[in-house]
Amino acid sequence: MDSEDDMHDANDVDSLDDFYSGDTGMASDDGDGDYEFIDNDTDDSDDSTSHRQQQNYTILNEEDIRQRQEEDITKISTVLSIPRVSASILLRHYNWSVSKVHDAWFADEEKVRKAVGLLERPIVQIPNIKELTCGICFEAYPRDRMYAAACGHPFCGTCWTGYVSTAINDGPGCLMLRCPDPSCGAAVGQDMINILSCEEDKQKYSRYLLRSYIEDNRKTKWCPAPGCDFAVDFVVGSASYDVSCNCTHSFCWNCTEEAHRPVDCSTVAKWILKNSAESENMNWILANSKPCPKCKRPIEKNQGCMHITCTPPCKFEFCWLCLGAWSDHGERTGGFYACNRYETAKQEGAYDETEKRREMAKNSLERYTHYYERWATNQSSRQKAVTDLQQMQNVHIEKLSDKQCQPESQLKFITEAWLQIIECRRVLKWTYAYGYYLPEHEHAKRQFFEYLQGRAESGLERLHQCAEKELQVYLNAEGPSKDFNDFRTKLAGLTRGRCLVLHL
Amino acid sequence: MQASRARLFKEYKEVQREKTADPDIQLVCDDTNIFKWTALIKGPSETPYEGGVFQLAFAVPEQYPLQPPQVRFLTKIFHPNVHFKTGEICLDILKNAWSPAWTLQSVCRAIIALMAHPEPDSPLNCDSGNLLRSGDLRGYQSMARMYTRLAAMPKKG
Ligand SMILES: [Zn+2]
Ligand SMILES: [Zn+2]
Ligand SMILES: [Zn+2]
Ligand SMILES: [Zn+2]
Ligand SMILES: [Zn+2]
Ligand SMILES: [Zn+2]
Repeated sequence: MDSEDDMHDANDVDSLDDFYSGDTGMASDDGDGDYEFIDNDTDDSDDSTSHRQQQNYTILNEEDIRQRQEEDITKISTVLSIPRVSASILLRHYNWSVSKVHDAWFADEEKVRKAVGLLERPIVQIPNIKELTCGICFEAYPRDRMYAAACGHPFCGTCWTGYVSTAINDGPGCLMLRCPDPSCGAAVGQDMINILSCEEDKQKYSRYLLRSYIEDNRKTKWCPAPGCDFAVDFVVGSASYDVSCNCTHSFCWNCTEEAHRPVDCSTVAKWILKNSAESENMNWILANSKPCPKCKRPIEKNQGCMHITCTPPCKFEFCWLCLGAWSDHGERTGGFYACNRYETAKQEGAYDETEKRREMAKNSLERYTHYYERWATNQSSRQKAVTDLQQMQNVHIEKLSDKQCQPESQLKFITEAWLQIIECRRVLKWTYAYGYYLPEHEHAKRQFFEYLQGRAESGLERLHQCAEKELQVYLNAEGPSKDFNDFRTKLAGLTRGRCLVLHL
Repeated sequence: MQASRARLFKEYKEVQREKTADPDIQLVCDDTNIFKWTALIKGPSETPYEGGVFQLAFAVPEQYPLQPPQVRFLTKIFHPNVHFKTGEICLDILKNAWSPAWTLQSVCRAIIALMAHPEPDSPLNCDSGNLLRSGDLRGYQSMARMYTRLAAMPKKG
C-alpha cells in the first residue's frame, strides 16, 4: 500500500472541480477552494487556533460576551449622551444592533423615547407632603420609603420588590419591564432592579441580560451542544456555515444541526425528518451485530473502520457495509470500491441475505435502508473515533512515547490522523443523505458522485485502519520498533491525502 | 397571603364607602372568604347587552395583586371574547398586560368596555367572532340581544 495513490486522488478531484456547477443538494462555497480542515503547513502554533482566526466566526466565552455587551452599551451611552442603563434598554429594544439604535435615535428621538419608555422628565410631580400612598398596596408611607421610575409614580419598596420579582421569575420579559401604573410606559432598568431585588433575582436578571445579547442578536447564537456555554459570533453572509465550537462540537450556523458540509441545510432537514419517520424500521441497523457472511456466526462491530475480521477459526475478512470479501475492496482490484453504490449492491443480491432484508424490500424501504445504514454506520464510526482520540490523548500517546522513545511533540501526527478521521466520517456520512436525494435520472451526476464517494470511502478506510489497528502493534511492542518512522510516514501520508476533497 | 388579604380588605372598605360611586358596578365580597368575589355589571347602553345585568365571579390568587384575579361570566353572554359555555374571558389585562395597580373595580370597568368594543380577532366564541369578522354586524347583534333577553334580564311575571 503506498500513500502516493491517495495524494493523486486529491489532485484528480481538484481538476474535476467544476464538473457540476449550480448543483442541487450541495452547499456551494464560492472562493475557498479545497475542502480541508487541518493545515498541512508545519506551523508550530496550535493548529486549531490558527485555523480559527481566518474563520468567518468567533467563539465567545461568557467573559467575551460580557465585555462586548459592555462595549456596545458604552458606545451608545457616549454617542447619545444618555445613562448606561438607558443605553442598555435601548439596545435590548433594537436587538443589540448599535447601528439600528443609532439610526432610529437620530431619525426621531421623541418617537424612540416613547416606544422604549425613556422619559426625559417625570409625568407626575410628587406632592410635597410627608406621606404618600402606594399605588399597589394602597398603604401610606413616608416619602423616603417610596420609589419611582423616571415617571414619578410612587410605590412602596415591598410592592416594587414583589412586582420586579414576579416579572423576573416570569422569564426574559423582565428585561422590558415598565412602571406598574397601567397608563404609564416608563421603562424600569437594571438600576432599579439592583436597588429593589434580592440577590437571587439580581443574578437571574443579569443572566437574562447576558443571554439576550446572544439570543436576540441576529449575528450570534449559542453552541447547541448540551451543556456548552460558548456562543458564536458569525459574519452574516459568509460562504460556509460550518462552525467548530471550542467544546469540539461542529455545527451548521444556519440550521444548528451538526455540521453537514458539503450537503445543504434543506437536504439535511429532509433526511432527519425521514430518519425519525422510519426510526422504528431502522432500529435493527443500529443493533451493531451481523452474521459473518461465511460462517454465519453473529459478529459485533466494536471498532471504527469497516474492515472486519471474523473470530478464529473462521478469520474471514469482510466489509461491514456490503458483507463482501475485503479482498475485493481497495487498490488490489484496481481501486474499484463500489459498496457505496446502491445499484451494485442490488444486482449482487446482497439484500436477499436475511428475512429482515426481504421484508424491507417488500416495504420499498430497501433503497432507503442502503443509504441509512451507511449514514448511521459512519456516524457511529465517528463517535467511536471521538472516544478513541480522547483515549489516545489521555493515555496512549504518553505510553507510546515511552515505548518508542519518541518525544510527545513528535507524535502529533497521530492526533492529526484521528482528527482527520473524525472529520472525514462526518463528511462521508452526509454524502449518503445527499446520495439518497440525488435524482435517479441524472446518471452522469450520480456516477461522478459515486466515484468520488467511493474514492473517499476507500481512502478513509485505509486511514482509519492504519490509525486503529497498525498503531496497536507499536503500542504493544516491547521496545522501540525500527520501522516506527515508516509508520509515521505512512499515517501522515494517509492523513495528508485529503481523501475527502468532495466538490459536488 | 397577608399582603393580598390587606390589599383586598382595602378594596372592600373602598367598595363599602363608595357604594354609589359607579352605578353600573356592584361588587360583593363572599361572606366567608375574602378571596372570592362576585360582581353585577350593567350591559353598556347602545350595545346588544343594554338592559341586561351580568354576573361575574372573581377568584383572587394569593399573589394578588402581583398576579391578576381570575374572572368569568356566570351569566350566559354571546360575545366574541367570552367562552359561551364556561364564561371565560379573553382580555389582555387579565393576562400578560396585568398591572398590580388595577383593582377588582377597574377590572369590572375594563370588562364593560370589552362588552362595548369586542375584539373579533382573538375570539373565544368562534361563532360570534366569525359573524363580526365577516361583517355581519346585524347577525351578531341580534344573537347577542337574544341571549341578553334570555339570560340577563329579570323574568317578567
Ligand atoms: Zn409610571
Ligand atoms: Zn405598596
Ligand atoms: Zn460548544
Ligand atoms: Zn445547516
Ligand atoms: Zn466467520
Ligand atoms: Zn463493502
